[in-house]
Amino acid sequence: MEEALVRAVLFGTPMLLASLGALLSERGGVVNLGVEGMMALSALAAFAAALEAGPVWGVLCGVGVGSLLGLFLGVFAVFLRANQFVAGLALAALGLGASGLLGKRYEGTPLPDPLPEGVLAGLALILALGLHLLLSRTRYGLYLRSVGENPKAADLFGVSVDGVRYLALALGGGMIGLAGAYLSLAYRPSWTDGMTSGLGWVAIALVILAGWQPLRAVLGAYFFGLLFFLQFRLQGSVPIPSEAFAAMPYLLVILVLALSGRARAPKALGQPFDRGR
Amino acid sequence: MRRILGLLLLALGLAWAQGDKLKACFIYVGPIGDAGWTYAHDQGRKKAEAALPWLETRYVESVPEAQALPVIDRFVREGCQVIFATSFGYMEAVLEGAKKYPNVIFAHATGVKRAPNVATYMADFYQVYYLNGLAAGALSKTGKVGYVAAFPIPEVKRHINAFTLGVRAVNPKAQVLVRWINAWYDPAKAREATEALLAQGADVFAFTEDTPTVIQTAAKKGAYSFGHYTPMLKFAPDHVVSGQIVHWDVIYIDFLKKVKEGVYTAKNLQNVDYFWLLQHKAVEMGADYGVPINPKHVPLLQKAEMTVGGKKVSVYDRIMSLLKDMQSPKPTFDPFTGPIQDRKGVVRIPAGKKATLQELLTMEWAAPGVVGDWPGEPK
Repeated sequence: MEEALVRAVLFGTPMLLASLGALLSERGGVVNLGVEGMMALSALAAFAAALEAGPVWGVLCGVGVGSLLGLFLGVFAVFLRANQFVAGLALAALGLGASGLLGKRYEGTPLPDPLPEGVLAGLALILALGLHLLLSRTRYGLYLRSVGENPKAADLFGVSVDGVRYLALALGGGMIGLAGAYLSLAYRPSWTDGMTSGLGWVAIALVILAGWQPLRAVLGAYFFGLLFFLQFRLQGSVPIPSEAFAAMPYLLVILVLALSGRARAPKALGQPFDRGR
Repeated sequence: MRRILGLLLLALGLAWAQGDKLKACFIYVGPIGDAGWTYAHDQGRKKAEAALPWLETRYVESVPEAQALPVIDRFVREGCQVIFATSFGYMEAVLEGAKKYPNVIFAHATGVKRAPNVATYMADFYQVYYLNGLAAGALSKTGKVGYVAAFPIPEVKRHINAFTLGVRAVNPKAQVLVRWINAWYDPAKAREATEALLAQGADVFAFTEDTPTVIQTAAKKGAYSFGHYTPMLKFAPDHVVSGQIVHWDVIYIDFLKKVKEGVYTAKNLQNVDYFWLLQHKAVEMGADYGVPINPKHVPLLQKAEMTVGGKKVSVYDRIMSLLKDMQSPKPTFDPFTGPIQDRKGVVRIPAGKKATLQELLTMEWAAPGVVGDWPGEPK
């Protein structure tokens, strides 16, 4: 039992970090479907930096690359007012492809000094709490929420809609980058092409599952982590085929999503803001 | 005179352009950087190109099954004379392509269907798994050995069975706990499956997955492990005991040489099936190239004893003598030599008989000692 809880937290952590990152920009009205690709590139950047300069640089580099990618999405989603869904999907594909191409030389290289997972898991919890406070207790949080609900009104009150959104994408990107760094520096710890194995998509689903609330994202991520572990812990001792077990975490996520259908998305989610119109 | 000379030069030029080079093209299912299956095939391709000066190769990676036929079309247009398809799922595309291009030679890895211009080939690990099983049986203190498995297909089942027969030959009470992850490549699932097995008391690990995840996870808890497909010693130098390593180049070089010499043509491949083992040097037992057993674990295995034909021998000596035997041109030992019952008590291989190639390729039963779900288990 204790083992299961530990696994829930340690495997839940990358999904938690990534969903916090996506949640932050979504509260400001920008959908981020690029999470998977952002995680993949950050994981690679973190691994490469950790090999060259040590694990602390690895983490910083992963966070930095995540932030830059968040801003990169911002160029399309905010500056060019492109369709956010298409831009996000393109970023996901680009990140996965580019990390595979750039990472060839890091395949099959062990990491000499991996990071302890527990420290990063604790940091993720603190970040969740911090994000909760940021959204509910600070001026920037208020701006962000108003930009996500009604950007026109926020603009009338003198809030820089684009500025708030860029900052949210950069901060959120940093958290997604940290999720990537967690995978390649602590969880694995090594780098292979495609190592994010769909966790970025789960993180996007978690944002909705959590009703755009950071603290609920914690529970959601740990819940998914627990289910993921249990499919192997229970396999063989319960008369359910392994294929059904493999689908279980995803089925349950869909089920919870369906049951919690009342969660309300930010009103301006996915809509580019154009001041002139 | 000048015309004759011109014709002669033209003929020479044509002969040089066509006769000298052989163009072999490879269809890969994954990225060549996957550190596993496709990586190993690509290493084989590179070594074959280095060894055969007349060989020219091309490859396309990450080809989905539905895209295999268009890739074959493209390869033929580009003048490929031999096409290697390196995934089971390419079977229909290969057979269709072979009909469409009767003069092109095809070879299909892990395939089971042949044609006059389609050969099949496989480098199989079951002997190596048995030897690693002997070591695992000797090293496990809890009597529980973990196996993180990809898909419940005959190939993987054959390997788990061979491994389990080895484990049980040393420790008749040991269990091999199997967990299916239903993926060839999924580090997250491999990690959590290993954690689940560790929580259930497994202290030695083998696996079928394309990354060193199982090894890294097991080593964190001090558990021993066996590498898979490529040398994995460097990922846990204190805990990787041995492993299975493939040498596809051996098959590629042999096959291409015979094509070049005209032994294989697009008309006589109907019965050409490579099922190459230790004796052909297509596979190797090792923690690393040339390191059959990690020197750090040799003393432990020398101390461990097992009974063979009523006599006590050290597990280390048993492994090394069987390895030597199976590497020789005419091996006398085979892990699947009867009497062998499955875990339900049904006799699968009668006393004194060896499993036939057909029985090996279609193995669905589970050996005694295998614990866990076993999809497709015969009643």
